[in-house]
Amino acid sequence: MHKKLLLIATVLAFALIAAACSSSSEDTTTTAGSTETTAAAGGEATTIDFWVAFSDEARLGFANDRAAEFNEKHPEYNIQVTSFSSYNDVFDAAVLAVDSGEPPALIHFFEAATRQALDAVGSDGAPVFKSVTDAIGGRSEILGEPVVLDDVVDAARNYYTVDGSFYSMPWNTSTTVMFNNMDMLNEAGITEPPATWADVDAACEAVMALADAPKACITWPNHSWFVEQSLGQQGELLANNDNGRTGRATEVYLESDGMMNYINWWKDLNDKGYYTYTGIQRDWDGTSNAYLAGEVAMLVYSSSDTTFFDENADFTNVASFMPRNQDVDYVGNLIGGATIWMLDGMDQTTEDGALAFLNFFSNPENAAAWHKLTGYIPITKSAEALLADEGWYDESPNSKVASDQLAAAKNTPASLGALLGDFVGIRDIITGAIEDILVNDVDVATRLAQANTDANKALTEYESLYGG
Amino acid sequence: MLIGLIVAAILGPLYVWQNNDRPSAKRYGLGSAIAVLGAAVTPIAMGQCAFAAETTGVDHLFAYTLMAGGAWLALIALQSFFDRADGKKSESAAMTGEIRTGGFRMGWWVPWALLSPTLIVLIVFLYLPAIQTFTLSTKLTRLGAPKSVDVCFGNFTELFITDPWKLVAYPLIAVGLIYGARFWMNRSEPGTLSRKGADVATVVAMLSVFVALYAMFSPGGGEQVAYRPVYVTTVIISVGIVAFGMIGGLAVAYLAFRRIRGGSLYRTFLIWPYAISPAVAGVLFFMIFDPTAGIFTHTMSSVFGIDVPNYRHNAFMAQSAIILASGWKILGYNILFYLAGLQTVSHDQIEAALLDGASTWQRFVKIVLPALSPITFFLLVTNLTYAFFEVYATIDFMTKGAPAGKTSVAIYEIIRVGVNNGDLGRGAAQSVLLFAAVIAVTLWQFRTSGSRVSYGGS
Repeated sequence: MHKKLLLIATVLAFALIAAACSSSSEDTTTTAGSTETTAAAGGEATTIDFWVAFSDEARLGFANDRAAEFNEKHPEYNIQVTSFSSYNDVFDAAVLAVDSGEPPALIHFFEAATRQALDAVGSDGAPVFKSVTDAIGGRSEILGEPVVLDDVVDAARNYYTVDGSFYSMPWNTSTTVMFNNMDMLNEAGITEPPATWADVDAACEAVMALADAPKACITWPNHSWFVEQSLGQQGELLANNDNGRTGRATEVYLESDGMMNYINWWKDLNDKGYYTYTGIQRDWDGTSNAYLAGEVAMLVYSSSDTTFFDENADFTNVASFMPRNQDVDYVGNLIGGATIWMLDGMDQTTEDGALAFLNFFSNPENAAAWHKLTGYIPITKSAEALLADEGWYDESPNSKVASDQLAAAKNTPASLGALLGDFVGIRDIITGAIEDILVNDVDVATRLAQANTDANKALTEYESLYGG
Repeated sequence: MLIGLIVAAILGPLYVWQNNDRPSAKRYGLGSAIAVLGAAVTPIAMGQCAFAAETTGVDHLFAYTLMAGGAWLALIALQSFFDRADGKKSESAAMTGEIRTGGFRMGWWVPWALLSPTLIVLIVFLYLPAIQTFTLSTKLTRLGAPKSVDVCFGNFTELFITDPWKLVAYPLIAVGLIYGARFWMNRSEPGTLSRKGADVATVVAMLSVFVALYAMFSPGGGEQVAYRPVYVTTVIISVGIVAFGMIGGLAVAYLAFRRIRGGSLYRTFLIWPYAISPAVAGVLFFMIFDPTAGIFTHTMSSVFGIDVPNYRHNAFMAQSAIILASGWKILGYNILFYLAGLQTVSHDQIEAALLDGASTWQRFVKIVLPALSPITFFLLVTNLTYAFFEVYATIDFMTKGAPAGKTSVAIYEIIRVGVNNGDLGRGAAQSVLLFAAVIAVTLWQFRTSGSRVSYGGS
């Protein structure tokens, strides 16, 4: 008897497998999520969910404080901040929430995934996000909050403008700068922070010749962002169709001259013992610790931690532009960071509340406070002016370096940075290749050729799902 | 596909003939039909995609393997049905010494009703997601993508070499070696030179399985994914963790088992590492060995003037560090079980051996070890499962797969590809592969170790 049942169960299990496998590849059966939120009618505040990818006290705290201030100012709304551990977690959760019918209003998502966010659709096939510019629709203030979107600095505006529309509201925006331990450099007879690769080589030779030479001379995280920055400096494209800005990118160039120059220089520094690799990809903590501990004289890093280094370095810490290739004309560095995306499909009340909060969040006072807290650039021109009036830049000159570097960039597709599908996966391929080159001493050209094949395969696959 | 079904129709009755005494024509017919049905399930479910025009030999190979698996499972189910009808005792009942399971008096549905809460939980949280994983593994898809593409076995075939004949030959050679060794073993007498040769052959045959798998996985290049390095890393780290965890666990347990002052307190502390999460273990060892902030590195350079190289730059050191951290974490668990096991070792036997003049080492090897074999067997399974599935956090904190993927084991790779890069299909395919590996390892362990495990009784 039991065996019979077992048999039936087995057959049923197979039937289930068969049913699951034969279901259509497009999961269109799920009903479209209803995103209607009840408007504030009887004094009940409209909840606006804001999902943030920061979990540290300072940066998450900033978001919480601003939300509390906004709620006090606009009692008909209730901004609710939820913290996630990474950008990917926020994005995955948001897409799933759209399908289950309870999406947040605003999510915090990073620059490299701009293409992915623009392409994202819910299970009903409708786009997940809505252009902030379109939603504002030319209004100069929303619920009494002046619109600051038009005031955003050019580097950020140009980066996030796709097909003529400024899609998402920039929040944490930075660029790569170099931090210099001037005590150590002065001791080695270097009086100015190195500006070019050749200057870095010379400075490192002097530093490593010191009697009390540090472990190594320079470090930076093995993060693809630095590679992209260097390509921008050298005016090289990472992808076709003007870095994916005049059309969808369908090809990446990981074997370009700019790429070879940068990686070869990097490997050379590493082989000479000037550069120290912490051994982990995207290692922000390890590299920053090495600099603060005086194990290296220079650190190429994100400007986002300028305030942190100013406060924590027990030596003279001077910020300077990211070192560039002296053999080619300088084109420009690009931004990095994240923006706040607004989800599509909200009712007018909720959407207006979300837009008002976005503009409040980056109003001159808040943008300036955010900059002072971290070192991310002041995102609007009025915030920059406010800081200059306050005398903040005289007090803290390192904080101005990032904005100056971005202002020095020519506005070309190369210096804007690429919009790419599966950028996260491609970045992973790039850092994986670099790790192989630094640790295993493999040939740069051969390894980059393999990376190029892999990256193009990833992009082609992505385009087969999203493109055309 | 038709060929596969015809072969199934012929092999079905053969299976019936082999497992039944003088079966009836009806049984032959059933065997044939059920085998065809079982074989047909997967190709039909997958829309015969593996036999489409542009497919390769490797695709066909995968399809035939799945057909064979389906037919085999169906035949096993059929056979158990026959055995039931014949009133044979089931194998498990024979092994545990049970005579007969008692009938339930209140109707056949009562036990099922009582089981239903568990079954529902199993179906919703285990079987349905598992089936979804299988479905996902045949697709190219991402979260938030407007469409997905059916790639049939593409996510699997890209992990293997492209030559279908080699792909068939390697596992067959390994299986042949195993059966050859077993045949030799059965023919040889204990204590003879021939038996020693058979022992060696058995070990060689076992190792040949690893070699065959090594040869089957793709070294990368072109459109193929370099999965061979992942396989090698997984084998090294898993074997390392299990060996370190179990040998270390037994050694510490044996030492802690002796009568010592404050023994029970000491023994309690030994178990503590098990209560620590893999992530915390990763952080702890990171704090010890980190080249910048590490305690060990700092002490070595400041006290002894030795510059310890960065462990993440060297494959051997990085893998050792992972094995040390993960093995240390499972150590407490193994100690706990070995301590319990040591209490069951017959004191009389040890005393008798002592009187016969056996040395400590001889007593340990000849009496204690065999007595602990059920626990060793159990720990082998749990430790391997741990090494396969629960090392992600430790690796993520200590090396993130560095140097250049040398510590990126299968589970780490699955999460990197499927979760971090959002490539759901490939992630699912790799997890199906790991799933198959765990089933294979478990089956193998039950077949080989099971027969040699002594559970004490008769």
